[in-house]
Amino acid sequence: MQRKAVASVVTVGLMVAGILSPPVLQQLRAESNPPAPMKLKVGDQAPDFKLQYFDGKGLKDVSLSDYRGKKNVVLAFYVFAFTGG
Amino acid sequence: MKAFQRNLQKLEAADTQVLGVSMDSPFANKAFADSISVTFPLLSDWGGDITRQYGVYHDKYKAARRINFLIGKDGTILEEQLDNAAIDPTKIVDACERKKLNR
Repeated sequence: MQRKAVASVVTVGLMVAGILSPPVLQQLRAESNPPAPMKLKVGDQAPDFKLQYFDGKGLKDVSLSDYRGKKNVVLAFYVFAFTGG
Repeated sequence: MKAFQRNLQKLEAADTQVLGVSMDSPFANKAFADSISVTFPLLSDWGGDITRQYGVYHDKYKAARRINFLIGKDGTILEEQLDNAAIDPTKIVDACERKKLNR
């Protein structure tokens, strides 16, 4: 009886060890980490761009260089319109 | 975007222009801006060239990640906020106000 209990504990232990073997652990770790390191770092020069927006009447151009020496710029990238954040 | 709108006065007072960027069309962005009462420009990066140049293109979403860059007047990057942290602009607002005081 006791022997059977010990055997089942060992079996469960082996199963858990199998589940948490290194490749699986690595995968778990990769999924909980942020996808990729940032290409641009704090202190880097921000690449200039020219993009457009619609102001209700027409398309307007906006360049990062428009603000050079005048204003700080917050560039807020978001996934899609009509989503949170 | 709504959180930036709520903090827009503070940011403008600290000499800071807010620009949203996504890979949507300008018209979808305008409709989005109107629907959430955002008054700053939401720029359209059709095709994602700028999104890729800034290294924020997300292969899985085929779109940008949620990321904020604070860029100084000299064009250097002062702050970055990634993913969930990017939804709360408090850190950016603080950084802008700190900069204003130090000027």
